[in-house]
Amino acid sequence: MNKNVISFFNKIQNIDRRYIYIVVAFSIIIPLLIPFNSRTYVTKPTEDIYKKVDSFAGDENKAVLMSFTHDASTMPELFPMEVSVLRHCFERNIKVFTICWIPAAAPLVDYALNTAREDFDVQSGVDYCNFGYKPYVLRLPIMLGMGDDIAKAVETDSQGRKVENLEIMKNIKNYDDMNLVIDFAASGSALQWITYARARFGANIAAGVTAVMVADNYPYLQTGQLMGMFRGLKGAAEYEKLVDVFAAYESEDYPNGRPFSKEVIKETRVPITGDTVPYKYKKARIGMNAQSVAHIMIIFFILLGNIGYFITRKKEL
Amino acid sequence: MFEIISTFVAAFLTLSIFSFLYKDNPFYKFAEALLVGVSMGYAIPLVYENVFLPYVYTPIFLSHKFIIIIPALLGSLYMFRFSKNLGWLARYPIVFGMAIVGMSVPMSIHSSVLVQMRSAMLPIDGINTALIFIGTVTILLYFFFSKAHKGIYGKVTNVGIWFMMIGFGASFGYTVMARVSLLIGRIQFLLGDWLGLVR
Repeated sequence: MNKNVISFFNKIQNIDRRYIYIVVAFSIIIPLLIPFNSRTYVTKPTEDIYKKVDSFAGDENKAVLMSFTHDASTMPELFPMEVSVLRHCFERNIKVFTICWIPAAAPLVDYALNTAREDFDVQSGVDYCNFGYKPYVLRLPIMLGMGDDIAKAVETDSQGRKVENLEIMKNIKNYDDMNLVIDFAASGSALQWITYARARFGANIAAGVTAVMVADNYPYLQTGQLMGMFRGLKGAAEYEKLVDVFAAYESEDYPNGRPFSKEVIKETRVPITGDTVPYKYKKARIGMNAQSVAHIMIIFFILLGNIGYFITRKKEL
Repeated sequence: MFEIISTFVAAFLTLSIFSFLYKDNPFYKFAEALLVGVSMGYAIPLVYENVFLPYVYTPIFLSHKFIIIIPALLGSLYMFRFSKNLGWLARYPIVFGMAIVGMSVPMSIHSSVLVQMRSAMLPIDGINTALIFIGTVTILLYFFFSKAHKGIYGKVTNVGIWFMMIGFGASFGYTVMARVSLLIGRIQFLLGDWLGLVR
């Protein structure tokens, strides 16, 4: 083996890790500063959630519950999902409830609602309702209680109003009506919804999880106990695209969004470089550009490190 | 104005945390300690308002539901954890906590065991179900320690190891993706909200 090559790999093996941090940082900064139109492929777990949410469009008797069990540390992955789902609900006139179980999630719910609602003429207590922060220790009785009567289980919303008196509660009694629960978490908290709300009351459960938790939740997706799953930033980017292509679509034929179609999603490319889509609704897709470049860099480093390891080991032997 | 100041504070704290990548320093320590303090400071009044007032104070003192005194007293026994002599009293609320765990056992068996097993027993009608079948059987055999992993049996359990390694690899790949996503989120904040370079 050429001496220069061995010397190069020896240096690479002992390189200061801070140089690698700099390279990874640039591989993220550059694609964010110079965005490009990469293709976002929509996968079935995300598609299934979209179709389920969309099936409630304009239906006074159906609602979606968004459960927040995370703090700001996992916002980059989960927040775009939450904004996208809220945007979908507001675009398609779907009743939506929000609830959170840890104190640090309470401002995130408000932030997500404020981000999505500013583009729509929606009203708290009529089109959406934030049940607010409920202590984690009461999660079990509230989950079970909502199977019988949501208004009794939750009692008050985030503004202290009696839930039973709110207009949004008309025709919404229990999981038969609030038939889809999407749990946004950086933990395995979706399993609790599966165990209590699904096993006992037959509610449809979906999960919006950080990429770390995806592998843990896959078995439940495979068995159908989770009807869909947002998988990290990629899942958020997929849902952003679905909402752009269908729910937010406007034309003479479809003034309030168009129905889901596999052909349309395959053919449609939504440009993220222009101003057609507001930044807040394409944040995950822009992030995925950086993610792709960072992954290529990491794969390169892994390959380089392994080649170096085997070459230097061979020399030692 | 408030938004500008808060964005600057957030950017300063983000950079302080990132400074740890160079080496440990007082800015990092300050930001870390501030996070813990602010989290607790935020949580305490929120819990007081959303837990103590509606579930303890209002029922007892305003609605006169005096039965609430019993669970309230039971819960307050947790405070004896700090006492050397009376620490044993804290075990009583823990006992009730364990009872709730017991209640979840039947439903957990349904969702985490029975339904999962049923799905693993489907007819092998494709490459995916075949892989699930081979993976499940070989991994279960790997964790059967009453027989030495030698000969043909050892080779079968080795297949189980391969399946697990692929599983760990997928899990690790997702972890890398998650960590990069968090970095992307912070850089989006620095470049967009703070510097206004990305909109």
